[in-house]
Amino acid sequence: MLRSFRDILDAAKEGDAKKVAAPCAEKKDMDLLSKAAGSGLIIPCLVGDGKAIEGMLKGMPLASLEHEIMDEKDPDKALGRSVRLIREGRADMLMQGTVDHQVLMDAVMDARNGLRRGKLTSYISVFQLPKPEKLILVTDTFINNSPTLAEKQLILEHALRLADILGIDAPKVAALAAVEQINLNIPSTLDAAILSKMSERKQFGKAIVEGPLDIDCALSEAAAARKGLRSVVTGNVDIYLVPEIDTGHLLAEALVFFGKLETAGAIMGMTNPVILNIPFVSDENRIVEIAIAALMCKKGEDHA
Amino acid sequence: MIRSLDDFARIAREKGPKKLAVLAPEDEEFMLAVKTSWHKGYIEPVLIGNTEKMKRVAEKVEFDIDGFEKIVGDDRQAIADLGLSMLFSGKLEIVSKGQIPTSYIYRSIIREENRASSGMTVSVVSFWEVPGLDHLVAFTDTGVSIKPDMKTKAEILKNALFVYRLLGYPKPRVAVLSGQREIGGALASYRDFDVLRKAAAAGDFGECEILDATSFTEIFLGDRDRPIDYARMNLERMPHILLVPCLDTGNILCKLDFFLDVTRCSLVATSRGPVCIPARSDTSDNIVEQLAMCVVVTDRMKGEVQ
Repeated sequence: MLRSFRDILDAAKEGDAKKVAAPCAEKKDMDLLSKAAGSGLIIPCLVGDGKAIEGMLKGMPLASLEHEIMDEKDPDKALGRSVRLIREGRADMLMQGTVDHQVLMDAVMDARNGLRRGKLTSYISVFQLPKPEKLILVTDTFINNSPTLAEKQLILEHALRLADILGIDAPKVAALAAVEQINLNIPSTLDAAILSKMSERKQFGKAIVEGPLDIDCALSEAAAARKGLRSVVTGNVDIYLVPEIDTGHLLAEALVFFGKLETAGAIMGMTNPVILNIPFVSDENRIVEIAIAALMCKKGEDHA
Repeated sequence: MIRSLDDFARIAREKGPKKLAVLAPEDEEFMLAVKTSWHKGYIEPVLIGNTEKMKRVAEKVEFDIDGFEKIVGDDRQAIADLGLSMLFSGKLEIVSKGQIPTSYIYRSIIREENRASSGMTVSVVSFWEVPGLDHLVAFTDTGVSIKPDMKTKAEILKNALFVYRLLGYPKPRVAVLSGQREIGGALASYRDFDVLRKAAAAGDFGECEILDATSFTEIFLGDRDRPIDYARMNLERMPHILLVPCLDTGNILCKLDFFLDVTRCSLVATSRGPVCIPARSDTSDNIVEQLAMCVVVTDRMKGEVQ
């Protein structure tokens, strides 16, 4: 079981380096790629204006490390070419680089030429808790605005797959809502209750889903006990499933800014990992996102 | 200016005791909070509930309740109705929830506000005390409106501004929160931000400032596109009021005090006085802080007409 970002980096370094297609990378991305290549995690495949890339590489450690340059002068075509590299099996993962979020998402979600694998994609934030050292997952924090119950099931299944990749056995899931009691007027409590019942019937394997849980019950066994709620999940949550994006995005940010927690993450539901530029992920932790992507590649087709 | 929960405690000692209806104090944690608040001189409790249960928990926390006014009641809704009618008729100054579902309290408040024709929307304000920050941070609405529309959010904001101004801040700074990102189109919460900001600029909410920021990244770092850098993080940019998109978000964010190094205190400001609504998971120490806050708010509400 991986307990820290250090564990993730160490585990990802075992095995072959993965090839990263990086369209329109700028200096900041080159620094990251340089660091990741230097750690033996990846072999960058830089797609863009060849001369400009060579100019940027001068004096960078990456210049002396294994890398490829694909000359594509038109920035609009660099992304398409990068995606094609992956579809053709010539690269393992895609990095956002300077490509606009929506442009990137449109390209990778394209049904014919993109990297979409299933019905839904989701983004999972991975946080490193310091004491006791532990990784927790919060989802969805970036992609789905108002997921339906069926979509929440897929989001949860994505999280369970990532938990498996991180070695979290029988993950404990808090299906969050505003209150811990089922309230017919609060849809999140109904969705959480149904997912919890599905878990009871072993529809999520060994995972234990408890819901609805309010955040106090999820975070504190004692607080849950004061409300008469006893469960192995309370106070010991591995995965927090949020009701919708307002909550997910703001919760992830609150954990970063108020909790000073380190965070990285992964997009799920693609044929190959895609590394997004998430605003609340620090430059230092972007290498962890590459490492998670590398672990997903190792998992093969079951990664997403 | 009230900058901390200690300020509430200090002023509550000066301005108390205030007459407080305690609705079904039938739980040790809550009775202990009543005991402590009485000893500190914050409150003069009127105990409404099942006499046997109240006596039993009082004995457990070694609190002699013989000298206090007691009103017998078993039906939870009837207890809530009685407490709120006493507040609205001026017989007492604060109401506090004990072992009663919060929804019953809200129902009673709404009924009394309708009777009083106050036109007031019921909402909950939850304050955070954040170490290193020189003011309290108010999240709203963290308890009542499940998915408020823009009009309701405007009323919720007015309530929070009213409460925050009572703390001595004539022009509170507000952030209308949203999960808006660069993808996924415009969220309803973001459209609400846009409308509310224009309304504030037109003077609809009196003296206040709505920030051009809807996320913590934008609040603390100033823009959405830069990765986080704690060195650049400026805690002083934290606004006074955070208007949350919906109940799920509000409740989940404000109760992060179970994980973060912050302290939370919540109240409902009705048109006739505050209602203390501790969560069932709150400890007695936390409930005492919330009662102190209500004592100060009721004191400052005297003479104010919302």
